[in-house]
Amino acid sequence: MQRQFNPYTENGGTILAIAGADFAVIAGDTRQTEGFNIQTRYAPKVFRLTDKAVLAVNGFAADGNMFVKKVKQRLEWYRHAHAKDMPLRAIARLIQTMLYAQRFFPYYVYNILGGIEDDGSGAVYSFDPVGSYERETCRAAGAAQQLVQPFLDNQIYFKNQVPPPGVAGGHPTHLPLDRVLSIVTDSFTSATERHIEVGDGLELYVVLAKGRSPQGLEGLRAAHVREVTGHTDGERVFVINQELKKD
Amino acid sequence: MFLTRSEYDRGVNTFSPEGRLFQGGTSRICYRGNQGKREIALDICLNINDGECFVFLQLGSTTVGVRTPEGVVLGVEKRVQSPLLESSTIEKIVEIDTHLGCAMSGLTADARTMIDHARVTAQNHAFTYDEPIKVESVTQAVCDLALRFGESVHDEDAMMSRPFGVALLIAGTDENGPQLFHTDPSGTFMRYDAKAIGSGSEAAQAELQDKWHTRMTLREAQILTLRILKQVMEEKLDQHNVQLAQVTKDNGFQILNETELRSVIEEM
Repeated sequence: MQRQFNPYTENGGTILAIAGADFAVIAGDTRQTEGFNIQTRYAPKVFRLTDKAVLAVNGFAADGNMFVKKVKQRLEWYRHAHAKDMPLRAIARLIQTMLYAQRFFPYYVYNILGGIEDDGSGAVYSFDPVGSYERETCRAAGAAQQLVQPFLDNQIYFKNQVPPPGVAGGHPTHLPLDRVLSIVTDSFTSATERHIEVGDGLELYVVLAKGRSPQGLEGLRAAHVREVTGHTDGERVFVINQELKKD
Repeated sequence: MFLTRSEYDRGVNTFSPEGRLFQGGTSRICYRGNQGKREIALDICLNINDGECFVFLQLGSTTVGVRTPEGVVLGVEKRVQSPLLESSTIEKIVEIDTHLGCAMSGLTADARTMIDHARVTAQNHAFTYDEPIKVESVTQAVCDLALRFGESVHDEDAMMSRPFGVALLIAGTDENGPQLFHTDPSGTFMRYDAKAIGSGSEAAQAELQDKWHTRMTLREAQILTLRILKQVMEEKLDQHNVQLAQVTKDNGFQILNETELRSVIEEM
């Protein structure tokens, strides 16, 4: 028998992002666990990087926090060197290079990056812990990925759904914001019901393309919505906090 | 002025308590280089004490850059010193990246180091950020090298013995459109609409100031560049003793081949 130090922990929780035509929604629950214990009921997993980029991290919380810190540092250096905010696809590539740099002692973290591309479209990039990445329309990761992703495949990609006869154009490629928001909240309430590591609170970021009206946000209670945009007359970022069951 | 040697005139990078840099009893750092058999003297004088650095590249070959809304044109005079010299081996315009080009005047061998650094910087940027580097950023990267000369302190990386003896015109396109930058051995860089450097630069710059306008086409810029080179050149201009290049949004950096060059010369 040999004892060995295990440098990694799995801290539970789930993250999720969905891209719309001109917006992106990035969400995560706020529970942090270790085994059967809850370490805290409020540990953010979703972070605003710039006015057009929001990063969700899930897996080993310490690695996740350090990784976000380093990404933010690189974004500041880039701002100083190039006098502009890093575009979303550049952030995606940067995250790949940063993750792959740790190929043989990886950050034990699944990343989902959401935001607005330079062409104004909503985008979601998902990563594995060593940097493989892909642009997608939606992605769930973390403890309840197995519960949430099939639901999104069905509701966002319309997998296993036959378009109703007589409807021209078939299924839509992008859904409106209010619909996306309700799919996100439903995903998390359901994951909370079925997964012990998910719950406590839902923190949800909405990034709106430049010039887009906040239509779709008005259905939410104003007390829960907070604008965290950095510069005016560009993209806009909102945070929405909602309660999830705490049992 | 400074007839006696002080404690502060031994190194080029040691400041006196008054905040001045001395070397060799003057406040100037001067270097003299030779290029080729013809003893082309080249003085680089960095007058570091006056906020701005004056640089005299007295006898580099004339190099012209013109920015237009369509793209940037670079033109150089290739001094063919001997009829036995293969003029195609004189290379004074080079590619940095697909969207970036560079023309040089002065000690062109020194430009190798700078261009190599510019190319590596551009490739690293594309690798890390999946986007082309900005023209200003690559210019800044080149200028960061400029003042790494003098004496290195113990345990420090070895430094260059003298400053670069070359001025560059860096042309490129990015999200801010076509741009032209001028760098000199002091490490200063500035953006220009049109710029001439090298031995004939005074006359050439005056001509550019006269003829350049904001809505110039690329063809007009090519013709203007050649006309200016023709004015300041001793030999008769032909497709062998000048080189033209351009950077456009659609086709990136291109050096004009002999046929293309001949057609511009004919239209001139």
